[in-house]
Amino acid sequence: MTDEIKAPGPPVPPPQAAGGEAAPAEKPAAAKPATPPAPKPPAGPKKWEPTGDAVPNAPAEALAERFGESVRGAKSPCGESAVLVDKAALVPVLAFLRDDPRCGMNYLSDLTGAHYPINDKKFEVVYHLYSMEKGHSLRVKVQLDDGEPCPSATGVWPGADWMEREAHDMLGIVFEGHPGLKVILLPDDFEGHPLRKEFPLGGAQEEMIRANRYGKPVYLPDDVEEARKIVEEQRHGR
Amino acid sequence: MDGEHMHPEGTGLRGALETHEVELNLGPQHPATHGVYRALVRLDGERVVGMESIIGYLHRGIEKWCESRTWTQATPVFDRLDYVGAVLNCHGYVGAVEKLLNLEVPKKAQYIRVVLDELQRIANHLLWLGTHALDVGAQSMLFYGIREREAILDLFEAMLGQRLLPNAYPIGGVRFDFPKGWEAVCRRFLEEMPKKVDDYETLLTGNRIWVQRTKGVGVIAADQAIALSLSGPTLRGSGVNFDVRKALPYSSYPDFDFEVPLGQNGDVFDRYLCRVREMRQSLRIIRQALDGMPEGDLKGKVGRIIRPPMGEAYFTVEAAKGQLGYYIVSEGAEKPWRVHVRAPSFINLQGIETMCRGALIADVVAIIGSLDIVLGEVDR
Repeated sequence: MTDEIKAPGPPVPPPQAAGGEAAPAEKPAAAKPATPPAPKPPAGPKKWEPTGDAVPNAPAEALAERFGESVRGAKSPCGESAVLVDKAALVPVLAFLRDDPRCGMNYLSDLTGAHYPINDKKFEVVYHLYSMEKGHSLRVKVQLDDGEPCPSATGVWPGADWMEREAHDMLGIVFEGHPGLKVILLPDDFEGHPLRKEFPLGGAQEEMIRANRYGKPVYLPDDVEEARKIVEEQRHGR
Repeated sequence: MDGEHMHPEGTGLRGALETHEVELNLGPQHPATHGVYRALVRLDGERVVGMESIIGYLHRGIEKWCESRTWTQATPVFDRLDYVGAVLNCHGYVGAVEKLLNLEVPKKAQYIRVVLDELQRIANHLLWLGTHALDVGAQSMLFYGIREREAILDLFEAMLGQRLLPNAYPIGGVRFDFPKGWEAVCRRFLEEMPKKVDDYETLLTGNRIWVQRTKGVGVIAADQAIALSLSGPTLRGSGVNFDVRKALPYSSYPDFDFEVPLGQNGDVFDRYLCRVREMRQSLRIIRQALDGMPEGDLKGKVGRIIRPPMGEAYFTVEAAKGQLGYYIVSEGAEKPWRVHVRAPSFINLQGIETMCRGALIADVVAIIGSLDIVLGEVDR
């Protein structure tokens, strides 16, 4: 635009296109960094690990007796019983918990996952089980690498079907042996897995709306970097 | 022509006539689906032979949204999950944070929570009953249901300042005590309500048309319902005694004397009966809570900035739809690392394929209604 050259001269009415924002022309470099800050590692500890003590209950003890090394007690800060299971032993453990008379965990209350980029194993799949007869609960966790498939629990509880589909949508965890692992909550053509920590919050489109609130709408390219460039240009009045 | 020749099998026409299954699209904007829910129904004549649910039209990314808010700021958004039972959603979330903080909630706050929770449960069941009856063809029930629900919403407005999404509880207790005169109005409601519930039952329970439309329709057996992780009245209609208030007691529910209504056959009628009887039990609980209201603080010892210890907690409440669970993960910071909602509507909706198989297409609407789903909670 031509108004950048004229800027040191006597005051001229700003052109229409600038929308009254004359200031950015003077400090293009000192403005905010051109790209949003890269996802910075959390400032706190090096690894996510629950605090507190492991609280064994009857099914956890039965599991330790039967599976030995492949099942370890997991800590909890609020006194919940939890175990960490090796991936290879997962389905036998779940079937054992359902069928063994000491456990009788017939109800899969919840199945979900979480993403921990700071940990060595970046994903956790979490099962919350409940026994209607005995009245005890147990949390079963399995840790996975990025891209590592998880055995499906649909053979043990058919109710795991939609919960696994949701975890697949949100975190990209692949459940091996699932009868139809397709999108459930997201649009069919959605790219990415929103509950992963690297998934951008807001994103270029939202930045654009903020920068260009009263301007005419601009359709951004799919490429995120390209889109950010356009947004920044728009924000600083070019 | 006599009947024998009219029948395709009698004439040997069955082999000659070409028949094929029809795929019918129900929704996503159908009034009987109570929101943007789409069902692909495969039909053989009028019989349903297969069904697929297509959901996600109302997905708002609430779980991701929470991760960029503080623990306190995230509270009001859970009202928007099940917007018909907002107070119960709020209780689930604050309960989970309190569990992770190992925070003691004062007895008085617990009792106030129980009163509001049960009022919300009745309001939810009234709206459900009205719309479900409307789906099946009993129009007048809707007006009665809305009328009584209005009284409950007025009570909410007087106490919390909001009717539908009141953001009822802060972490650690409740915001307000009952305002002056509120208890008297509430007690009057408790006195009048049982007669109104009798009226609903006169309208429906013995109504021949209602019974014919609902009995033996959408049956799900107890073991199937457990395997599919159904919960709430949808599970109890099949005769499974699982109510979070009794099974995994929270708040002050062990103090109160109430029953868990159970069905026998697991059909639409039994699920209806469970909910109507639950309303009576809720009234019982509210009466006991008002009578035994203790003195004390409204809020526990909770700082202005909340930093739960690093770890995770899973806390469930008995929401109006079923077991509502919150799995929260903290990294010891003031923002949640992960919040997952175990939404009862979402998981109960899984059962619909089992319930609809073999039913008539006209009954599909009755079955959807009997599940009591809210699409805001299904899609989150």
